[in-house]
Amino acid sequence: MKKTILTAIILTTIALGAQAQRIKGSDTMLPLSQKEAEEFMNVNPSQTVTVTGGGSGVGISALLEGTTDLAQLSRKIKFDEKQKFQSNGKSVKEVIAAYDALAIVTHPSNKVKNLTREQLEDIFTGKIKNWKEVGGDDLAIVPYARETSSGTYEFFKESVLKNKNYMTGIMSMPATGAIIQSISQTKGAIGYVGLAYLNQNVKAIHVSYDQGKTFVEPSVANAKNETYPIVRPLYYYYESASENKVKLFIDFVLSTKGQQIVSEIGFISVR
Amino acid sequence: MKKLRKITEQIVKLLLTVNGGVTSLAILLIIVFLFKEGLGLFKNPSVEKGYVLCVNSANNVERLSSYEIKQIFDWKTTDWNEIGGNAGTIAPFRFEEIFSLYSDEELGEDYSLLPEKLGEVIAKDINIIAYIPQEFFPQNNNAVKILTSENIRFSDFFGGTEWLPTTTPSPQFGVFPLILGTLWISLFAILIALPLGVGVAVYLSELASERVRKILKPAIELLAGIPSVVYGFFGLVVLVPLVQRTFNLPVGETAFTGSLILAIMALPTIITIAEDAMRNTPRAMREASLALGATHWQTIYKVIIPYSSSGIMAAIVLGIGRAIGETMAVLMVTGNAAVIPSSLFQPIRTIPATIAAELGEAPVGGAHYQSLFLLGSILFIITMIISISAEFISRRRQSKGI
Amino acid sequence: MHKRIKQKIVFIVLRLLGILIVGILLWILGFIVYNGAEVINWTFLTTAPTEGMTAGGIFPAIVGTFCLITGSVVFAFPIGVLSAIYMNEYAGNTWIAKFIRIMTNNLGSIPSIVFGLFGMALFVNTLGFGDSIIAGSCTLGLLVLPVIIRTTEEALKSIPDTYRTGSLALGATKLQTIWRVILPMAFPNIITGLILSIGRVSGETAPILFTVAAYFLPKLPDSIFDQVMALPYHLYVIATSGTDIEASRPIAYGTALVLIIVVLLINLLATFLRKYFAKKVKMN
Repeated sequence: MKKTILTAIILTTIALGAQAQRIKGSDTMLPLSQKEAEEFMNVNPSQTVTVTGGGSGVGISALLEGTTDLAQLSRKIKFDEKQKFQSNGKSVKEVIAAYDALAIVTHPSNKVKNLTREQLEDIFTGKIKNWKEVGGDDLAIVPYARETSSGTYEFFKESVLKNKNYMTGIMSMPATGAIIQSISQTKGAIGYVGLAYLNQNVKAIHVSYDQGKTFVEPSVANAKNETYPIVRPLYYYYESASENKVKLFIDFVLSTKGQQIVSEIGFISVR
Repeated sequence: MKKLRKITEQIVKLLLTVNGGVTSLAILLIIVFLFKEGLGLFKNPSVEKGYVLCVNSANNVERLSSYEIKQIFDWKTTDWNEIGGNAGTIAPFRFEEIFSLYSDEELGEDYSLLPEKLGEVIAKDINIIAYIPQEFFPQNNNAVKILTSENIRFSDFFGGTEWLPTTTPSPQFGVFPLILGTLWISLFAILIALPLGVGVAVYLSELASERVRKILKPAIELLAGIPSVVYGFFGLVVLVPLVQRTFNLPVGETAFTGSLILAIMALPTIITIAEDAMRNTPRAMREASLALGATHWQTIYKVIIPYSSSGIMAAIVLGIGRAIGETMAVLMVTGNAAVIPSSLFQPIRTIPATIAAELGEAPVGGAHYQSLFLLGSILFIITMIISISAEFISRRRQSKGI
Repeated sequence: MHKRIKQKIVFIVLRLLGILIVGILLWILGFIVYNGAEVINWTFLTTAPTEGMTAGGIFPAIVGTFCLITGSVVFAFPIGVLSAIYMNEYAGNTWIAKFIRIMTNNLGSIPSIVFGLFGMALFVNTLGFGDSIIAGSCTLGLLVLPVIIRTTEEALKSIPDTYRTGSLALGATKLQTIWRVILPMAFPNIITGLILSIGRVSGETAPILFTVAAYFLPKLPDSIFDQVMALPYHLYVIATSGTDIEASRPIAYGTALVLIIVVLLINLLATFLRKYFAKKVKMN
């Protein structure tokens, strides 16, 4: 009797598992996947989508272990991660779901409007410590970063810091929302957030990647026409073998409706 | 029939015995899993697994410490002569850069020509230090040599001052700031909570009328019952801005904010245990003191508090234990900056907050994952010491009992 | 005269401290009730989050927390009660009992985040449950096991030995004595301990972070191998992430209030039961 029940439980799990999809990975993409999942389930009531965060690295290793069906990454799959799939006889497929621009934000009262990449590098590596060194008030700079293994942390490190390490003892926040919250309360603060997170409580800095010749405002338009430099694609990865299982969802994300959601959230659509 | 009953008795007894061992088993398992994973960290090479650091064979540097590697790839150490080599500006080379030097076609099918090309790059530059995957190491190129790689050392872990667990090529697992941060914040929490807690305990056991007790006791129980994440939320929304404004600080997420929250959370523990100890003061001692003409306060101060001192000690120790292990509230209000604390009004990072923030993001089985288990082991040891000393203190009290 | 004045001052200070404690409690509760009260309504309690967690309700989180409570109780209650019976009725004051008691105390003093680590290593990875209700429940169950054992043992201890000897003298076996005499008498206090541990389970966040909690999962769980949302984790998530912190603040207040109400009710229930049964026993 007990055995039958146990088998029944296991069988139902497997049967239900067939139409349940698990998405795991980048915290940056959580709001996007959450909204997409919400709408997707409205259209396809028989489908279940679970969304969990954890960071891009976790998403991809969960995909490798088979504990997720889709990995959401705010960076490209790393070379060695790809190798791991290959050595396990698996292959992954990649879909770009949206683009995200990283905005550099400060407290609204901050006078500084423009910063070059080099200045940003010096600020986040701890060389520049006071706003007056970059044309602002005499006020200590308080840089905020994300937690160490988020894709955002790595992307910023690669793109802006040119792979150098952040200063030791940088404030690190468990989630982007917390960064916004803290920066809006802290006069000398500077941090980076996805474009989607911008609101009136923080001020977005215009950034130059050409030693100060042109400063570009972070906006969807500027990211689309590629004048804003700090832009990255957001990816879904899945195992080629399980394509059938996730295809419906992926198609939905790439559909007009799905991409409309992308824009609503504040990311940049792929079209 | 009787025999059957006897057998049942025996079976039940056995079952109960087994059950009695569950907590011990749980602790044993916790120790095994924590330490097995945690100590695995020291079997990891200090350079990321699966990768090697290569230099030109003409370079006379043979090995580099984990910290030196980090400094090189941060462009902070810039000349080979700073680390025992011949003078020459260090040229750090990351593997991905190869893709901007050569097209995919040049690297051949399945990257079969990749090792060869890497070899060329390294052979060309005498000052290069290249960080490449082991499988693409150019085997047959004599101009390339691998730097001897060491395992992560105990001293790197406990003595290191930088916590950068995801840095490549050489992650930094300096746990020292985290340990200090945890102790620092708990110490101040207790300094705040102790006078408050003992004061309230005195009030409850000596002064409060039955009616007041009926209000205060449940209030304290409720305070103990509020989930830590609610404390964290309250701290984040109310205390952080408040602390920032009151002390005119650049940031509100400070060790002090954390200590305040922890103090509130440790209060119920301290009050309850201290009050218990005071109530246990024998009536005779109390009355003798009063009869000798001492005031009520003098009796409290000179008789009751000294008598219950070991109970108060136990309360302090358990309060510290509560504070050290607290996770969510601290994670939300302290700013989580891994620095060695030098003041109360700066951000700080504790061990539990580090685990909570990073475990979800650390790939299972990797060095980062193991380092977090080692942090857990440290936390476990600290709380064990605390719990055992509390036990010891209260045992002493019992044997001293008059 | 001088020492009288001194005493008066000290006592006033002590009284103020007592008021301060109540003040702190009222401050925290008041803040959350004030901000959360207007959010809570039927829809909030019975619908899933929508609009990127800035609207809708917290129904899945409530159900999830309920699942975790049930799961951990199913796991911890029998084990806890049986261990307590063993310690109090069989092991007595032997070194085994002392050892177990120390171990139980130690288990109780381990920080919840360490349980999270352990749960992830054992239940999620080694036993292969994955992030699931069962993994989360076992982790939480271990966490509250000491609470259950301690309260049960207290309950058993408070029963005078005369009942035991009386029952044995009438020819009952030890097992019959425990089952028919001791347990029924200790029952109310055991239940109180159970309720307290439920309060603890419903508020813990750190142990479920890596063993069960999902960021977003509007469908209710079908099996014990599913992930669930849970109230405390949900509060953490909407307090720190989401694209629009301002817009999701009300939801956070509402969730905090629901969480506090749950814990409060559980505590009140425990207190009430304790008093109710105490009276009943006295009347008998």
